[in-house]
Amino acid sequence: MTIQIKTVEFTPKRHTFGHIARRLGGDRSASRYQEGTLDLQATENFHYKPLWEPEFWHYDQAKTAVKMADWYKPLDPRQYYYATYNIARANMQQAVERNFTFADERGLLANLPAELKAKIIDTLLPLRHAHWGSNMNMAEICQRGYGTAVTAPCIFSAMDHLGMAQIISRIGLLLDGLTGESLRAAKQTWMTVTAWQGIRKLMEDSLVERDWFHLYVAQTLGMNAVLLRIAYTGLEASYGTAGMALAMLTEFCADWLAEEGRWSDAVIKAVAAESPENNALVSKWAKDWIARAADAAVPLSVAVLGDDTAARVAGEATTAHARALGLAL
Amino acid sequence: MSVIAITPDYEKHIQYRDEQELYHGSLLVYVHWEEHISFVSAFGVPLPPDTPFGAICEIAKGIYGDHPDAADVDWAKAEWMIDDKKATPDFGKSIGENGVGHKSLIRFWTPGLHGYKGTSN
Amino acid sequence: MTAKKLSLKQRYEFLTRDLDWEPSYQPIDAIFPYDQFEGIKIKDWSGWEDPFRLTMDSYWKFQAEKERKLYAVIDAFAQNNGQTGISDGRYVNVLKIFLTGISPEEYQAHRGFAFTGRHFRGAGTRVACQMQSIDELRHVQTQIHTISHYNKFFDGMSEFPAQHDRVFYLSVPKSFFDDARSAGPFEFMIAIGFAFEYLLTNLLFVPFMSGAAYNGDMSTVTFGFSAQSDESRHMTLGIEVIKFLLEQHPDNLPIVQKWVDKWFWRGFRLLGIVAAMMDYMLPKKVMSWKEAWDIYFVEAGGALFKDLARYGLKMPKYADVATEACEHISHQNWGLFYQLCHVAGFHAWMPDAAHLDWLSEKYPNTFDKYYRPRFEMWAKQEKDGKRFYFNGLPQLCSCCQLPMLYTEPGDPTKTCFRSSTFKDTRYHFCSDGCKDIFDNEPEKYVQSWLPVNQIFQGNCGGATVPEVLKWYHINVGVDNGDYVGSPDEALWKSWAEQRLSEAS
Repeated sequence: MTIQIKTVEFTPKRHTFGHIARRLGGDRSASRYQEGTLDLQATENFHYKPLWEPEFWHYDQAKTAVKMADWYKPLDPRQYYYATYNIARANMQQAVERNFTFADERGLLANLPAELKAKIIDTLLPLRHAHWGSNMNMAEICQRGYGTAVTAPCIFSAMDHLGMAQIISRIGLLLDGLTGESLRAAKQTWMTVTAWQGIRKLMEDSLVERDWFHLYVAQTLGMNAVLLRIAYTGLEASYGTAGMALAMLTEFCADWLAEEGRWSDAVIKAVAAESPENNALVSKWAKDWIARAADAAVPLSVAVLGDDTAARVAGEATTAHARALGLAL
Repeated sequence: MSVIAITPDYEKHIQYRDEQELYHGSLLVYVHWEEHISFVSAFGVPLPPDTPFGAICEIAKGIYGDHPDAADVDWAKAEWMIDDKKATPDFGKSIGENGVGHKSLIRFWTPGLHGYKGTSN
Repeated sequence: MTAKKLSLKQRYEFLTRDLDWEPSYQPIDAIFPYDQFEGIKIKDWSGWEDPFRLTMDSYWKFQAEKERKLYAVIDAFAQNNGQTGISDGRYVNVLKIFLTGISPEEYQAHRGFAFTGRHFRGAGTRVACQMQSIDELRHVQTQIHTISHYNKFFDGMSEFPAQHDRVFYLSVPKSFFDDARSAGPFEFMIAIGFAFEYLLTNLLFVPFMSGAAYNGDMSTVTFGFSAQSDESRHMTLGIEVIKFLLEQHPDNLPIVQKWVDKWFWRGFRLLGIVAAMMDYMLPKKVMSWKEAWDIYFVEAGGALFKDLARYGLKMPKYADVATEACEHISHQNWGLFYQLCHVAGFHAWMPDAAHLDWLSEKYPNTFDKYYRPRFEMWAKQEKDGKRFYFNGLPQLCSCCQLPMLYTEPGDPTKTCFRSSTFKDTRYHFCSDGCKDIFDNEPEKYVQSWLPVNQIFQGNCGGATVPEVLKWYHINVGVDNGDYVGSPDEALWKSWAEQRLSEAS
């Protein structure tokens, strides 16, 4: 049984915007992702060359060496627009809050033995800085990139990294009872301890990369797929009795890695598939940054797990993954 | 004053977008009927430099023809200003010879005609 | 000894700017290459006061809640055919101007704040800018989603991205934002963060959002309410930026003053379009443009500059000229729309008798004397079947890109002409304000893509009006021309008739 509600019919003149209809191949209903993304960025008749970089227009396809006939090909399989993105993150964050309350009430971190606390401070907390650098990279790609399809998810990603830097920082505040001592110590580690210098150098090197798609490959296949994957998988094995608590508190990060990967894989795949020239460039960048990230991760891998297996495995796995995306590595 | 940019050679990177060369041999000329400002603004028209000045009156007739004052314009009595200087153009000579250059502004007054009901409209 | 617990402010700092570090593997100037050349001196970035202390957990939570509510209203509006409940079919033209002229600039703001959110070397400032960047993306997307439903029924909205890049009057907002985007990061913050989002924001927000509320546009007004808390965050960022720059070094004052002067005038010219919208396009009036100006600029802006006087900052140059011009600009700009809507993507119309009387009442010093006769003349021509359209292509100001239609300060019967010569070429301006802006940075404004001049140069689809309109994606006889006789009007009337027949 259904209840019939009588309504007045109003026949629409069109179902979506003209530019969307041309992309859909006809006047059909479009999704909010499509209407809020496609062709949103201006493409022609710009007025003034930027005073800060007169070599290019502020939106300029020449800011990367890869070339696309249409920068609206690399779409987001998650179909995020602002609303769906925020709602997804708010839902994930709810679990984070529950987990932090749980850990706080039961003293899961505060009561750890000093040795284990020190290990977390030395090997996990400095990641907050890696997320911060990643936040800068994704903001850079958002401002410098071409076409809303790629650039809009980049500001989402930038905010995600900031959020994750804050989650890691809060783990520190649980450890040190809200004094900030652990965060001060972790920053010292990030700045001076040898095991982290490869990663910090990798991060700083990425911050001066001005080819935005090169930077995209570095960030997603280097930092995310190698470094962050090592950091967020296998925590249970690495931190003994604290492992479960840390896995729970960083659940957001592990889930995020998988989700972000779905998007960045789609983007890299589409750009590499465009032409043999693109494929060669993206493959070269991927090979370079995966190798550098795996090398940089070795000392950390040793410090956390006792040997370099994790770094090596992550590098190999990412290389295999990149091949599956069509790259020649 | 000069622009402050990240590099001293900013000017090398820019394109001048309103130079005369871009108008395929024509001069862009602006014409404005004073005291008839219901017309949105002066109109622009690209004209070869050898166009006789009198042609401007003909073009103006087409642009301004709908105005109640239009039929009463006596072009022989019109008062002219070219680029902020009073002028007595020779209608038979070219605009160039009359001192009209690229993006010159030609303003004219029509004595006795002060717009709709004398309101400059 | 146990360490003391962190205060809330310290905690926020640990969760934001403390994440930053002093690089040693790459030179800091290579990481931040753009924030030095403008001459702004920052002695100590840590002097930056975080304008709002929002961590990502609370950002996502608040914003998600707002989005759930907003989209519920948008869905309900569509389901109940809310478009039939607006005050009059004419109102939709406000949305056309909004979607083609404002929403694309929200997008530009999004990318611009991503730029400053990456490239200031002050970490706290970057976080604040990034939040504004993602907020501005929210605004453009929610505006598109709100207006999407109107687009299904009314004309003039379906080609907004292409039109923003091409159509002549849309180069006014586009060049404004291109100007800000091509400026250095500090100037961008004064231009958009301070001048646009703080000083002039209410003059944009109130006309559109209150206009929507007064005219039964429930979805747009819900967007407006939903964006209000974002806007107040943006305002606190705008005011923090200017105070920070002025506090950091006395040498910053003349630079900031020059930017304030420039962006005030540029903003004033841009808002002239809103002025015409407010006084002429809202079937149900909120207040007059002049009243809005007096409240939001003369009073509120005056108080603001009184407050900023302690830093040595003065009222923007030509603020008095602008206030005087507010007796005129809405009428002058409606005159522009009225006579050029045959080449525009929206409709204009002759105000009716009651509307003219309202204008006389709101503008006792100017309307009857200067503008009523103009409408009277055109109304007569309409009655005779000769509806007036301007037959030529207008002369544009080389700075603001509006037609050169404004009048001399103190003499509303005389068109204001200013010009400068740069490298042997003459450039024309509608005002002293626009001329000053050009003279300060001529190498920038000689690049202006002036739409009319581009038509003459042969870059706009052809030499004839139909060719240009085709290139503009303007559907002739549908999107353009007078409201009377338009398909929009026919549709609106058919809904009204339907309602009548249902009632009987």
